[in-house]
Amino acid sequence: MSVFEHDYKPYEGPTTALWKRPLVLARYGLSEAWGSKITIGLVVLALLPCVVDLVLMYLANNPVAKMLVVGGSKVLEVNERFFFSAMEVQCWLALVLAAWIAPRLVSFDLGDNALPILLSHPVSRFGYVLGKFIALVLSLSYVTWVPLLLLFLYQCYGSPVPWTFGHLQIAFGLFAGAAVWILVLSLICLAVSSWVKWRVIATGAIFAVVFVPAGIGGMVSAILRTRWGFLMNVPVLMSELWIRLLGMAPFGDPRLQFSSTAIFSVLIAVALLSVLVLNARIRAREVVRG
Amino acid sequence: MGVIALDRLEVRLGGRTVLNGLTGELRGHAVGLLGPNGAGKSTLINTLLGFHEPTGGSAKVLGLDARTDRMRIRQSVGYMPENDSFIGNMSGVRFVRYMAELSGLPPSAALERAHEALFYVGLGEVRYRKISTYSLGMKQLIKLAQALAHGPKLLILDEPTNGLDPTARQRMVQLIKEIRKEGSMHMLISSHLLRDIDETCDEVLILKKGNIAAISNIEEERRSHRNFIEMEMTGNTEAFAEKMQTLGCECARFAGGRVKVVMPDALSQRDLYMTAAETGAEIRRIQTRRDSLEDIFLRAMEYDGVQARPAHEQAFVGGGKG
Repeated sequence: MSVFEHDYKPYEGPTTALWKRPLVLARYGLSEAWGSKITIGLVVLALLPCVVDLVLMYLANNPVAKMLVVGGSKVLEVNERFFFSAMEVQCWLALVLAAWIAPRLVSFDLGDNALPILLSHPVSRFGYVLGKFIALVLSLSYVTWVPLLLLFLYQCYGSPVPWTFGHLQIAFGLFAGAAVWILVLSLICLAVSSWVKWRVIATGAIFAVVFVPAGIGGMVSAILRTRWGFLMNVPVLMSELWIRLLGMAPFGDPRLQFSSTAIFSVLIAVALLSVLVLNARIRAREVVRG
Repeated sequence: MGVIALDRLEVRLGGRTVLNGLTGELRGHAVGLLGPNGAGKSTLINTLLGFHEPTGGSAKVLGLDARTDRMRIRQSVGYMPENDSFIGNMSGVRFVRYMAELSGLPPSAALERAHEALFYVGLGEVRYRKISTYSLGMKQLIKLAQALAHGPKLLILDEPTNGLDPTARQRMVQLIKEIRKEGSMHMLISSHLLRDIDETCDEVLILKKGNIAAISNIEEERRSHRNFIEMEMTGNTEAFAEKMQTLGCECARFAGGRVKVVMPDALSQRDLYMTAAETGAEIRRIQTRRDSLEDIFLRAMEYDGVQARPAHEQAFVGGGKG
């Protein structure tokens, strides 16, 4: 083909490997997600707590500044508890970001019935989901484990006493805890987005899917006088998991302290359910029916 | 080797047999896919693209098995779906580039080909506009552009003129003819408009209730029926048809007294009048014309069995109602 000659010529150049096709979807997905000013705004907001944490770490590590601002209080001690709080804040802000981005990644394709044309190219259903999943996980990484590990590195650098080697588990906990959360969250968000055609409703549905089962679980526990209903409470489960990964001593309501096996079983079940929903929805829409 | 080879292909969806043991080989450069609603046209296309798994038999596209080589098939095929299917939030050039990259073109080559494809189909001036602002005709053209951009070996067009006004339809038909003439790719065109298929295709596959009703080479069909005569008659047309067949003609009767006759070179129109007079039939109207795709289609719809024979054998096999 030629723009000027207006005739058709077959393409005879090189082609990329099949395994790279999901990366095309991820690249265009990232571009779509980050093309919105609201996304940029949400990311900036999500990073503000890190700036506050950074200031607190500076104060904690600078004896003069600490003396001037908070006196001899231990409030500003940078330890597992400090990073647990930072992680909780970042991970829940990631939920807000995911609820905004995920529908943008999927709803445009569903709204305009683009799946038949997308999947008529050499991309499988799995490749399609993988591409969108990568885009979402990368987006959420910017506000979770990446800034958290940067905070950890700053603490390693700023601490006046040897600190790093005694607290390496915090680094592992920050990465692993955030990774587990954003992997599960991404699958939940994509599944919900594939189910709901309208973006605004999808955003609301994502919050509902995370928090409504928690309420139901609370009711089940109260009515049946059992603690197992709390297994439906994803926020509680994640907090429990983060506490363990950061190497903290358990605290809070002992009824909510489940075994790691129970926590991972629930998270895996949620992930599998999300994958099943995604597969069913995309399969239903990959061809035009009727 | 044919472009598409079907061997006892059976597809069941929701417990219902949609394609029932299709067997045949399509070799034409532009193959028309015809059939009434529910005949299985879309199911066949979706099976060829690997969206539906054959429950029996096999289908090969460009020598690749639709069951095991679906990614390689999709690599070699450009598909233009019937319904609206695009990302309305994207500009035309970005959408076509996206699709080309999904087909394996490197980003820079994909961008170049996207521009070229859009100019080729006539959307060059609107390529930076969002697709959601395009008219229906433009949306059809952008689907064609994305199907062409990666230089496929087989182009599958599902109802390409659907919903187009006469000018846009003519433009689309012209484009298809140009692509066919260029010759580097094969085409499978599904349409319910016989005229579109007639103008653009050299071979036709007619489906009926999930079976192949006919596979016909349109060009050969036309060449084999130079003495094709259509008449409107009253009276004893049955006796007329039988008499003409004894004279060596192929004869078919249709509703409303329509009779079609293919005469050997030794006979002339005078013989028609003489036979009509002998058998008590009256010729009210007579015209010489070439066999049209409509005739092939109507004949195929009248048969219950499979008609997949060479064109010279196929004409009036069974004699229609006659």
